Amino acid sequence: MKVAVYWGCKIPTAQYAYEMSLRQVLPHLDIELIDLKNTSCCGGPVRSVNTTAALFLSARNLALSNQTGTEDLLVPCNECHFMLSEAKHRIDNDAVMREKMQELLSKEDLAFSPRVRIWHVIDLLHDMVKVDSIKAKVKKPLSGLKFAVHPGCQIIRPSEIKRVDHSEKPRKLDILVEALGAETLDYPEKLDCCGAALLYSHEDAALSLTGSKLKALQDYDVDGFVDSCPYCHTLYDARQKDSAAMIGGNISLSVFYYTQLLGLALKLGREELGLHLNQSFNPEKFKF
Amino acid sequence: MSLTDLMTMAKSDKKLQRKILGQLWMVHPDECYQCMRCTSGCTSLKLLELKPHEITLLVNSGFIEELVSSDIIWTCASCLKCKERCPQKASPYNTIMALRNLAVEREAQIPEAYMRAISQILETGLMQQVQTVASKDNQPLNRETLGLPEMRGPDDKFQAVFIEVLGG
Repeated sequence: MKVAVYWGCKIPTAQYAYEMSLRQVLPHLDIELIDLKNTSCCGGPVRSVNTTAALFLSARNLALSNQTGTEDLLVPCNECHFMLSEAKHRIDNDAVMREKMQELLSKEDLAFSPRVRIWHVIDLLHDMVKVDSIKAKVKKPLSGLKFAVHPGCQIIRPSEIKRVDHSEKPRKLDILVEALGAETLDYPEKLDCCGAALLYSHEDAALSLTGSKLKALQDYDVDGFVDSCPYCHTLYDARQKDSAAMIGGNISLSVFYYTQLLGLALKLGREELGLHLNQSFNPEKFKF
Repeated sequence: MSLTDLMTMAKSDKKLQRKILGQLWMVHPDECYQCMRCTSGCTSLKLLELKPHEITLLVNSGFIEELVSSDIIWTCASCLKCKERCPQKASPYNTIMALRNLAVEREAQIPEAYMRAISQILETGLMQQVQTVASKDNQPLNRETLGLPEMRGPDDKFQAVFIEVLGG
């Protein structure tokens, strides 16, 4: 099955482990990725400055997807997923804005067609590949391990546009982790935001939000933390020590992209999955 | 003292209010009945004292200038809980974004990082440059050494169109 992929900015410029693990695991699940060409930012940071310009950026990336010959588009970043989904909703339902966007797109010889289905890693695996097919491919179950999952904010809200999972009780990422033979934890802070958007204006607050969530999890005694967004991962993994310093505590919790855990269960190598890039990974705690 | 008391010295500006409301699509702040569900779940309430229901109240009262020149509109974490949980169609999140846009238009003090991201997008199409990162044992690694394909930004035509749409 061919699926187009829009990587956005954060993944292909810094969060390489997410891209590496996705490129490694998806072929094992019979998904062939087609990289979009000529892409730009989704408009996430532009939205605060000029909402129409942000909408244009998302619209042009959707139009580029239209050129690939497949109607399925994978958007692995939570923010990009929200921006593109919202843009599609707006263009599909607002004739005035649709005309304005088509006019702008035509300047680059592009055109938007509503024939595009936007997927995130979580629903692509849960709803397209399906959990049973993943279970059937697991070669090395992650049994005996317990993880807390973090779906993030922007892929589950707002439910008025098509989102990846339930807005208040998301379970798909838990189910995907359980499919690998591990346990998951239901915890009160599950929906707490990482605070990444505050890095633009209030970095201390972002680090406090991240630190408070990780601290709570450490007290629940889990083996690791699983996310699926380059912004959340930057904070929980690369900025974990800074977040601990901000709240004045000690935090040591191994943080993984879901696709890295999936790769380990498929018996792929640690380095192929970019595990050596995870700053929080403590190899002594894991047998894989 | 309530917020409206604090605003008694200020004058309601209906023209700016219309401008904000005109930017919103399928969002109606005037439907807000101050139930505060938005504020009770707001990510930025505890640390930064953001109260989305008050933002909505101030917009409905026409105190736009005061909001646009205040730091409070830059404390939103974009978690979208207020938009999801609002029982009406008020969505404080969208109102806050419209207020930020107006702050930029009026050249108010805005966090520098946003303008840096815009400059970077103008230059390369992406919000940040391709980086060399460190592995956990401190080896410098980049796309090439990690075996990832070369990253290319948008074609030449992109920049002119983006400048045009940014300009208005």
